[in-house]
Amino acid sequence: MTTIRLYPPLFEEGKEIEFVRSGRTLSAIPSPRDNSVAVFSTSAVDPQTLKSLNEKYTDSRDIYTASTDKIPTSERRLFVTDTSVIFASLQDFKNSNKTSDLDSRLGRSEQVSPVLIKHAVDYVKIVVDSWARASKPVNRPRPLQYDANHYRTLYTCLSLFVVLYLPEAGFDDAPVGEELMEWLNTHFIEPSSEEGDHLSSQDKPWQDDTFWPYLTRSVLRGFSKAPVFLLETLSRHPSEHLQNLVNYLSPLLSSHPRILQFSTEREFVVALRRWKERVKTLRLELDQVPEEEREDDFENWWKPLSNIVGILEGRLEIIQNICIDLNADWKEVCATWSIFVNHRLRRQDLPEVVNQVLESMPPDPTDLEDMIHVALFRGEIMEALSHAAKLDIWLAAHWIDLMEHLDLLNTHAGDDLEISIRDQYILSYADYLHSDPALWRITVAYMCSCGSIGKEQADQVLLRVPVDVNRGATGPSDVHATVSSGEVPEALRDVIETCHEYGRESVRRMVCTIAAQNFLRRREYGLAVSYTTSAENWTWLGRIVDAILAEYIKHGPEVFARSVAAVAPSLQELRAHPGADGVFTHRLMFAVRYAEFHQRRLSGDLQEAALDILTMFNEDLAPKMWWGVLLCDAVELVRHDSLMLYSSSGAVELLKRLEEVNLRASQGSGDDYLSVLMVTMKGATEGEVLQRLKSARLSLAKYYAKCTMVAGGRDVTRLRAGIIAV
Amino acid sequence: MAPSDPIPIETAHEDMIHDAQLDYYGKRLATCSSDRTVKVFDVVDDEPQRGVGQTLKGHAGPVWQVAWAHPKFGHILASCSYDGKVIIWKEQQPASAGWAKIKEHSLHTASVNSVSWAPHELGAILACASSDGKISVLTFKDDGQWGADVFEAHAIGCNAVSWAPAARAGSLLAPSTGGRAAPVKRFASAGCDNIVKIWGFSEETQAWVEEDVLEGHTDWVRDVAWAPNIGLPRSYIATASQDKTVLVWTKDTPTAPWVKTALDPSISAAPGAGATPGKFPDVVWRVSWSLAGNVLAVSCGDGKVTLWKENLKGGWECVSDVSS
Repeated sequence: MTTIRLYPPLFEEGKEIEFVRSGRTLSAIPSPRDNSVAVFSTSAVDPQTLKSLNEKYTDSRDIYTASTDKIPTSERRLFVTDTSVIFASLQDFKNSNKTSDLDSRLGRSEQVSPVLIKHAVDYVKIVVDSWARASKPVNRPRPLQYDANHYRTLYTCLSLFVVLYLPEAGFDDAPVGEELMEWLNTHFIEPSSEEGDHLSSQDKPWQDDTFWPYLTRSVLRGFSKAPVFLLETLSRHPSEHLQNLVNYLSPLLSSHPRILQFSTEREFVVALRRWKERVKTLRLELDQVPEEEREDDFENWWKPLSNIVGILEGRLEIIQNICIDLNADWKEVCATWSIFVNHRLRRQDLPEVVNQVLESMPPDPTDLEDMIHVALFRGEIMEALSHAAKLDIWLAAHWIDLMEHLDLLNTHAGDDLEISIRDQYILSYADYLHSDPALWRITVAYMCSCGSIGKEQADQVLLRVPVDVNRGATGPSDVHATVSSGEVPEALRDVIETCHEYGRESVRRMVCTIAAQNFLRRREYGLAVSYTTSAENWTWLGRIVDAILAEYIKHGPEVFARSVAAVAPSLQELRAHPGADGVFTHRLMFAVRYAEFHQRRLSGDLQEAALDILTMFNEDLAPKMWWGVLLCDAVELVRHDSLMLYSSSGAVELLKRLEEVNLRASQGSGDDYLSVLMVTMKGATEGEVLQRLKSARLSLAKYYAKCTMVAGGRDVTRLRAGIIAV
Repeated sequence: MAPSDPIPIETAHEDMIHDAQLDYYGKRLATCSSDRTVKVFDVVDDEPQRGVGQTLKGHAGPVWQVAWAHPKFGHILASCSYDGKVIIWKEQQPASAGWAKIKEHSLHTASVNSVSWAPHELGAILACASSDGKISVLTFKDDGQWGADVFEAHAIGCNAVSWAPAARAGSLLAPSTGGRAAPVKRFASAGCDNIVKIWGFSEETQAWVEEDVLEGHTDWVRDVAWAPNIGLPRSYIATASQDKTVLVWTKDTPTAPWVKTALDPSISAAPGAGATPGKFPDVVWRVSWSLAGNVLAVSCGDGKVTLWKENLKGGWECVSDVSS
C-alpha cells in the first residue's frame, strides 16, 4: 500500500487529531482525465455540530491534486512512446494474419517465428538506448524518474528472455551454454579489465593477491586470451614445476573447443573428447608435483592451479566452491555448468540444473532482478511476470504479449477469469499510462488490444479527451465579429481518426455530437452541421437549423447571412448522406438559400436576390411560418425605383402567396404563416402584421399594373427574363 | 508529493467546502461551500486560466453538492443546498460572461443533500435527495420545459442518489438479441433509515418504482455510488455509512440478488492498531468510483482518504491512503 502525502501539507505534522476534532476530514474525487484524485478538507459532522465545535479552526480551503502513479516524466515518456511503436507493430502483425495460421507464424509450431524475435530484439534495443541516455553524466534539473540501473535491469531480464525463450530457427534444441555465458559476460562483467591492467603492469604479478582469483575467474567465464597472457608471465616464476605445467595449460585454454567453432555437433564432440584427454594428462602432471614443492615464497600456487584444472575437467563441486570463494552467484555456476560440466545442456534441462544449484546457492529474495532471472531459468513464467510487474509494469505487459504465442502461459490458469492473464497485465500497464493524459493515444492502443473489455475502457479514455479549443479564445462577444474561424481542434481530428482506427463507432458519434454542440455554441454553423451529420444525430441537426434561423430573428439579415455563409459545403455533405432526415435537410436548404438571398441583396445583386425569393416559393423550400418574412423582403425589392426585378408572372406568384396568407389568417391560422414576421417586428400583433401585409399587397398590385403597361410597349422577352430598366 | 507537483487550487471560499466535482474532461472543477456559493475553476496545468475561479451566487444556505451535466447538453451545473433548492446553472457565451441561473427547483421542504445527473443516454434528467424524505427527478425537455416526479423514499431523510449506468452490465458480452436495448432508467438512494433503495422507472405506469431494498447498514447511509460498468458482467454499488462501514454490493446477473462485501481496513492497518475487522476508524462520509470503476475512493471521518481496488480473487484491497 502506498501513502500519498499532500504538498504543501494541509496541516502540520502531528496536528491530525486537532484537525479531526474540529469536525473536518479529507475527501477525494477521482478525475476522469487521468488517475489522479482531487483532495480537499471538508466537514465530517453535521453542520449544526460543526458550529458547536471549534469555529476558530482555520483550515486550508485549497483543492489538491494527488496521483498514485509515477506520472511519466519526459525521459520515461520517450521510452513508453518508443516501445509502443513496436507493440503496435506486433499487434498489426497479429491482426493481419488469420487466427488459424497465426499460431504457427508466431511460434506455437516447432520453431519461434523470426517476427517475434525481431520485435523482442527491438524492445531490447530501445531499453539499451534508454540505459545509455540515463547513464549520460549530464546535469539534470531533477533526478531521473527511472535511473540507469533500472534500464540496465530491464536489459538483463529482457535479453535473458530472448536467450532462453526465443532461440533462432533450428536452435531451439541446441546446447544453450555459449549463449548463456555470453549473456552473463555481457551483463555481469567479471573479472574487471582494471584488475587485468593492474596485473599485467607488474613484473611478478603472481605475487599480487588478485593474481589467482583473476586467473580463475577468467577461466570460469570461458575466456582464454587474458588467462594465457597472464600465464605467460609465470615463465619467470621460480618454480620449474609451475613453468612446466603452464606449458601444458596455456595451449589447453587456447584450444578449448567451443561449439560455435564447429559446423556440426559431432565434430565438436570429437574435438572435445580429445581435449578432455589432454586435460587428464595435465591433471596427472599436476598430481605428480611433490607436496613440498607446491608453494613458492609467497603462497601455495598448486591449489589455485588445481582449481583451474578442476574447471576444465568440469568438476561441479570444485566449480561451486570456486564460485562461493569468488563471491559469484548461482547464475555463474549455471553458465559454467553449461560450458564445462555439461556442454550439451539444452534449454529444457536448465530448470533441473538451476534447482540443484540453488540448493546450495539461493537467490536474493529482496532483489527483484535476481528473482526474475531465477524464474526465467526455472521456466516459471507466471512467477517471472509477477516479479516483473513489481519491478516495472512495462516489462510484465510487453513480456506477456510476446509470451502469449510461445505456449509459455498456462492458458487454463485463467479460465475462470473474465479477463485473460495477458489482458490483465496489458490493462494494468494501460492504466499506468492513463496517469498521463497526454499519452491517451497509446493508452487507447494498448487497451484496444485487450478484447471487448479493453475496448470499452478505451472508449472511456477517448470520450474524455478534451475536444474543445481553449474556451477563453472562443465565443465572440460581438455578434458582428467574424463568426466562423473554421478552426477544427487537432485533438478532435485525432480522436475521430483513432475511433476509425479501432472501430469505435459509437464513441466517434458521441464525440462528433459533442463537437457539433461546441461549434454551435461558437456559432460555427458549417462545422456544427458537418459534425452532426457525421454523428448521424438528426435531432441535433434540427436544433442547429433552429439556431441558424434564430440568427436572423435575433441579429437581423447581415449577421444571419454571414453566419450561414460557411454552411453550404456542409449542406452538400448532408444531402449526400443516405440516412439524413429529410425535414431538417429541407429546412437547412431554406436557411442556406435565404442567407444567399440576403448576401446578394446586401451586395447589390438585386436581380438574383429577387429570383431567389421566387425560387424559394416555387421549390417549396420556404416553411410557411417564414412566408410573411419572405413576402415583405420581396416587396422591398418591388419598391425599388430604378429596376423592375420581377416579371408579371413573378408578381402574380407573389400575390398568390400573399392571398393565401391573408386567407389562412382570416380562418384563424395566421400564426402558422406569420409567427416569424411577428417576432422580427419586435413582437407586433397579428393585426399589425396583417396591416403591413396589406400595404405589401398594394405595392405588389401597383407593381403588377406597371408590369403589364411596360410589357405592352416594350420587349416582352426581356420582361420575362425580369430585367427591365424603367 | 514532490515539490514539482501541481500546486493546489486556492478556492477562496469563505467557509467549509462540502463538495468538489471535476467536469467530464477533468479540466474544470466546481466546488461548493457553507459560504452559500458555488465556484468553478480551470484546473489543467497548461491552461492559462488555471486557478482563476468564477463565483455562482444564488443559494440562501450552505451548498452541499454540485454535479456537472454531460457536455452534449452544454456547460451545465446543478447545485443543491440547505435552503431546500436545486439550481441549474449554465455557462454563458462568451465564457467571460459567467454563469447564469437557468432553473430553480424548490419542490422540497427541507435541505436538498444530493444531486446526480442521469446517464446522458436518458436525456437531461436530474435526481435530487432531500432531508424531507423525498426524492425528486427532474426531466428537462428539448423545448425548455421541465417536469418533476417527487416521491417518498426514506423516512427521516435521503442523503444521496446515484444513477446506474445506462448500458446494462455485461450487455457487451451477451449475444446480441437484435435491435438496440433501451437504456436502463435506474438509480440508488441512501437514507437515514439505514437502507439503500434501488428505483426503476416503469414505462407502463410512467412512475418510479422501488425495485430493491439493500439492508446491511446499522446506521444512516451517508453516500451511495453506482460504479460505471466497463464490460464486466456484474453491477457494483458502494455505500458508506455512519456505522463506520463501507459495503460493496454486487449483482452478477440482472436476475441475481445483490450480495454485499464489507471493505476491511484492518487487513492493511498497522499491527496492533486495534482495528476491528470490516470497520473503519470513524464514520464513512463519501464513496466515489474512478472512471473505469476499478478504484473506489473512500473518505472517512478519521482525516484520511483510502483508495481501494478489487483483486483477481474478488477481494478488496486498500492500495493507497492519502493524508496531509
